[in-house]
Amino acid sequence: MGENVVFAVLWVVFSVLGEIGDRVIIRHNPMYYIVSNQGQLALQAFNFLLVVLTPVFVFVVLFLVFTMVRFTTKRGEMPPANKRFAIDNKAFVLVWVGGSIALNLLFFLHPTTSAMEQMFALDQPAANTHDLVVDVTARQWQWIFSYPQYGLTQTLTPNGQNLLELPVNVPVKFVLRSYDPYHTYDQYADVIHSFWVPAFGIKEDVIPGETRYEYLTPTAITSYAVNPMVRVQCAEVCGPGHPWMESPLAVVSDQQFAQWVKAQKALANG
Amino acid sequence: MAHAMTVPESGHAPRPRKAPMPPVLRAFLWAAIGFLLLNTFVIAVDPFRGHPFVTGPSVVFGWVGAAIGWLLGIGLYDAVLLPLMGFPTRWQERQQGWRRYWEFATDHKVIGLQYMMFAVGGFLIAGGIAMLMRYELMTPYLTIFHYPSNYLTAVGIHGTLMMFSFATVFMIGGLGNYFVPLMIGARETVLSKLSGIGVWLVPVGILTVLFSPLLGEWSTGWRGYEPLAGQDANGILFYYLGVLALTMSSLIVALNLVATVMFRRAPGLTWGRLPLFVWGQVTVNLLMLIWFPEIQTTFVMALLDKVVPLNFFTATGSPLTYLMLFWLFGHPEVYIIAVPAFAIWNEIIPVMAQKSLFGRQWAVIGLVFVMMLSGLVWAHHMFTNLRNSEILPFSFFTEMISIPTGFAYMSAIGTLWKSKVRLNTPMLWILMSMFNFLIGGLTGVFLADPIVNLQLHDTFWVVGHFHYTIIGSMVFSGFGAIYYWLPKLSGRTFNETWGKTLAIITFLAFNLTFSQFFLLGLHGMNRWVPAYPAYLQPMNFEVSIFAFILGAAFLGNILYIGYCWRNGAQAGENPWGAKTPEWFTSSPAPRYNFPVQPEIVGSLYLYGEGTKVPVVTTALGELAATSRATQDPQFDWHDYAPDGGGVTS
Ligand code: HEM
Ligand SMILES: [Cu+2]
Ligand SMILES: [Cu+2]
Repeated sequence: MGENVVFAVLWVVFSVLGEIGDRVIIRHNPMYYIVSNQGQLALQAFNFLLVVLTPVFVFVVLFLVFTMVRFTTKRGEMPPANKRFAIDNKAFVLVWVGGSIALNLLFFLHPTTSAMEQMFALDQPAANTHDLVVDVTARQWQWIFSYPQYGLTQTLTPNGQNLLELPVNVPVKFVLRSYDPYHTYDQYADVIHSFWVPAFGIKEDVIPGETRYEYLTPTAITSYAVNPMVRVQCAEVCGPGHPWMESPLAVVSDQQFAQWVKAQKALANG
Repeated sequence: MAHAMTVPESGHAPRPRKAPMPPVLRAFLWAAIGFLLLNTFVIAVDPFRGHPFVTGPSVVFGWVGAAIGWLLGIGLYDAVLLPLMGFPTRWQERQQGWRRYWEFATDHKVIGLQYMMFAVGGFLIAGGIAMLMRYELMTPYLTIFHYPSNYLTAVGIHGTLMMFSFATVFMIGGLGNYFVPLMIGARETVLSKLSGIGVWLVPVGILTVLFSPLLGEWSTGWRGYEPLAGQDANGILFYYLGVLALTMSSLIVALNLVATVMFRRAPGLTWGRLPLFVWGQVTVNLLMLIWFPEIQTTFVMALLDKVVPLNFFTATGSPLTYLMLFWLFGHPEVYIIAVPAFAIWNEIIPVMAQKSLFGRQWAVIGLVFVMMLSGLVWAHHMFTNLRNSEILPFSFFTEMISIPTGFAYMSAIGTLWKSKVRLNTPMLWILMSMFNFLIGGLTGVFLADPIVNLQLHDTFWVVGHFHYTIIGSMVFSGFGAIYYWLPKLSGRTFNETWGKTLAIITFLAFNLTFSQFFLLGLHGMNRWVPAYPAYLQPMNFEVSIFAFILGAAFLGNILYIGYCWRNGAQAGENPWGAKTPEWFTSSPAPRYNFPVQPEIVGSLYLYGEGTKVPVVTTALGELAATSRATQDPQFDWHDYAPDGGGVTS
């Protein structure tokens, strides 16, 4: 009896301490830097899992430590043999099996299904309002961004790097394709890439021969200079150029965006 | 043939003429001949003259020739083909001395040690490569690797060798071959000759993958993703071929062990009494029998895609099909690695606590359900490219698989609760393994959640997760198992202070290295990069330092075990007071394992008052249907006694 009580008390105490630790982690953002509605969903899910799993983690770790402290013989001593041992304990098994089923069903409902439903809803007609469409072309080893609504075919920084610039709080539809417009005899000879902006909290693979869509809304004005997680990074190995298949990204105000579009147009028209 | 291999050597005749050269040397020679023959043939019939002497297609055929030559040279010719065709053969199995480990053997214990030896070789090579990778990652720009493709090739060789020549080999080909027959009271395995040949495919595979850069760099990593693989230089061919050899070897192990468990159990060893370790082996062997042919087929298709070339997996074909086919095998593969470890926990814990195993049926049900569910979750590796409608079902099964996985913990916890366990070196490794796998499993729950996965996939979070599951389960349990069985394997034991010190150092170095992988991943560090944004350098630098310590710690353990194997103190016959049959014979066990057929009369996992010794070794005549006696009218157990058989070298 005594051990059960001691263990239960310790479990509660350390779980509470763990939860306090979780609050601290959550305050400091375990995903470091997230600036999109999609990323917010991921972050909430992450935090939820963290909070619910903490007591599970504490239970097992505490048990392992407890075993080492309380349930061991002295060095070189044999365990006592004159005992009968329980090989079953219906209550414990029921709580364990039932508990793990309940926990996993919970996770499947929330955050798994709840968050995915919110994400899927972004491409429903109601939300998919085409405020801004960006065509993203992945080729070995470069990201090319074009803005069909503004007639921009390839947006660049002053020194010629491909640049993705987005207005803040405007829903974006990314159209993701992997092919090589400069490859004169075989445009489709490309490989799988993955379109990842760490600060947006999502990546989608870009697959040769297929077109994929990604919807999200940037939620803060920021740029690569503010935080290096604000960058477009290829996340799927695509050959020797993979580590450098990245582009700077800037999220700006509406006015700045309009100016930038003008400037890009002027640049394109030479 | 079946008969020939079950009848022990008459053996009284002196060894005839000595073989002209050691089999390994001959195997190398015949492999070279095989390569030249087939390679030259392909070049000769090549309609496009003017190619170099070794081309993609020619090297594939040449490799097949080399593999066949190697196997013939090592013993397939002398020991299998000649007797099979009714010709006299010089071959005689060596019974003693270190040389028998470098020859064809039919003793499952020798074969098991051969597997362990090769697996450790693969581990050291791949581990050395990991050290180079970590050295490179100390800086955000290229240093020792001059081109990214060199680094990517290193990552690919590291991953491929670790997975196919170590993780699936050490516990199954190695410990499985050695201990499954002993633990079911069998005298030998069913397909012992096939098994003796199969082990020699492991060095073929290791050397093939290791020397793949001879044919050019390949950049895909261990998954060989298409269509990138189609662009790579011919080095990728050696990846396909090496993996084919390694998986073929493991497939033979699986076939042999399953057959042995089905047909060679000792009388009284019902399925209900089957040792936990054996259950673990049987379940993963079934997984291997199901999924290894699948990945082999896929690799043959990818190989044809490359050398013919076809267009199965290019943009005009379907790249996603390759991904599906790979992970269809790939996910079961991770359980092939982890399940034997779960089994080991519950094998060792009751012994060290001298306490009955709690919820034995749950521990077994857990293994079996993990095995079945593992075929339903593959696309969780593809959340970033799956159709939306497929995400939730795969997420569901992925989350559910943690339930049966948890049963291994439930049994272990139930057994340890209020026990008095001996906290010795093997036990310490097991507790550490439980801790590490806990972290691996819990970080997996985050990955199973698709919205989180879309952020964490292909980052160092994943790299941390799978190193925690693989090293945490299989490597830590593997060390636990080796320390536990060292007295059985060698008749010698180790020093507790040394054993524990090494375990603790390894544990700390491991956790300090890989826990930070999670933070790197969250902070935006992606995989397969020798160069990365500079803000990630400080943590990477420090991780590398711990990684070097970890590498040294692994090496230290291996050296120490090797030292104890030869020089350790003499161990008792059953030093831990275990009840499973492998401890009811001398250590190491004689050629045919047990002087007389043991019989199992009770549960192997019950301890305490009123429980009996479950293994009796006097049941000579009354052998069950699973034994030799009913099949062989001339059966006489004296033939199988280590001295009665009189086989000496
Ligand atoms: C000795 C300590 C080890 C260290 C320091 C280490 C380090 C690494 C690193 C840095 C990567 C590259 C990650 C990336 O960029 O994607 C990697 C990949 C990998 N490692 Fe290890 N590793 C170790 C041991 C192991 C073991 C024991 C196994 C399995 C038994 C293993 C299996 C893998 C696999 C499968 C990959 C993926 C390769 C790929 O992406 O194709 N590693 N490891
Ligand atoms: Cu890439
Ligand atoms: Cu998986």
